[in-house]
Amino acid sequence: MPTFISEYSRTVGAAAVILLLLVFVYGGWMDSLYPGLLGIFEWLETTPFGYIGKTWGAAFAFVEAIHLIGLAVLGGCVIASDGRLLNLVLTDVPAQTVFDRTHKVFVWALVTLLATGVFMACGVATKIYYLPVYWFKMLALGAGMLFHFYVRKPLLGHDLSQLNPVVTKLVAIASILVWFMVAATGRWIGFSG
Amino acid sequence: MNELVYNFAVWLDDMQWSTMLHESYYMYNWVESTHVLTLMVSLGMLFLIDLRMLGLALPDVPASKIAHRLNVPMLIGFTVMFITGILLFYAVPVRTSQSIWFRIKMVLLVACAINAYLFHKRMNESVSSWDTDARAPSRIRMGAMMSLGFWSIIVVCGRFIAYDWFDCSSFPGEFMSTLAGCVDGQTRF
Repeated sequence: MPTFISEYSRTVGAAAVILLLLVFVYGGWMDSLYPGLLGIFEWLETTPFGYIGKTWGAAFAFVEAIHLIGLAVLGGCVIASDGRLLNLVLTDVPAQTVFDRTHKVFVWALVTLLATGVFMACGVATKIYYLPVYWFKMLALGAGMLFHFYVRKPLLGHDLSQLNPVVTKLVAIASILVWFMVAATGRWIGFSG
Repeated sequence: MNELVYNFAVWLDDMQWSTMLHESYYMYNWVESTHVLTLMVSLGMLFLIDLRMLGLALPDVPASKIAHRLNVPMLIGFTVMFITGILLFYAVPVRTSQSIWFRIKMVLLVACAINAYLFHKRMNESVSSWDTDARAPSRIRMGAMMSLGFWSIIVVCGRFIAYDWFDCSSFPGEFMSTLAGCVDGQTRF
């Protein structure tokens, strides 16, 4: 007889990893690791990306704009596929089709966001090191990727008619919330420091 | 013309609400964040529609379905962006109206509106013959590419507005000054 844990092992596993990360960061355990990370962030500013980001404001601003375009595409994929799971958009298209077909675009958008995000981080590395909101964003991003690839994608790979509708709706809401959090914390970095 | 725009901007700038919005740290940031984050809804939907026409997203879903069903959230997103955009302009009217990036952005917004009108007109006229094709006909694809290009440049210009490279106060040269609408060196933040 399947238990809750065996039935939702990936979800429970992902939740445990996210919980551990939260405890690690906010439970005081990271305090000992944190000073050692400063050297890495100082080194990031000395890389060619860091040099370009700090020296050429136009290049930095242009990459920021590409980052925003990536965010728009990622947001579009999330809203289309999760909106479909919530029966809000594309209701006459099978949910599986919407999810499968937007997934590839989602991955490209995520790669764009990560690449431009690394570039931007190099340009302001020692600034973001001291920003709590930056670490929160990294946590949210990690949680988002873990949730998307380890929980959401495998779950939606099943026949959706066999899944509990409440579960699929919860997955959609969680997905929208986690990616909104990634975007909102990113925006907040711009206002901080 | 530039003087007229300047006088209008100064009139807005003299309003108490404009100053209050500009100087309210949280309110201004909320408005700006909403403007930026709504990109995920408005441009997200628009880019999906454009990518569908190019055969790069949802190629096996009828194009008309994608265009019509995603139109509603897209328009909701654009409405929010439009309102927050006006508020952002209202908060900093003089500097914004004298920004070359803002002016390019406005011209491109008009170009986007015309392109969107033509795109939908052409699509509605012919969609029944290619609705289920993975890629739309070339002139529809051209419209989708122009939409992607224009909007990408709009995002770049929107980001550049925040920087002061060609601000009137930084003496950008006569040509750029005219384009940006600098009036006799008069600037205000």
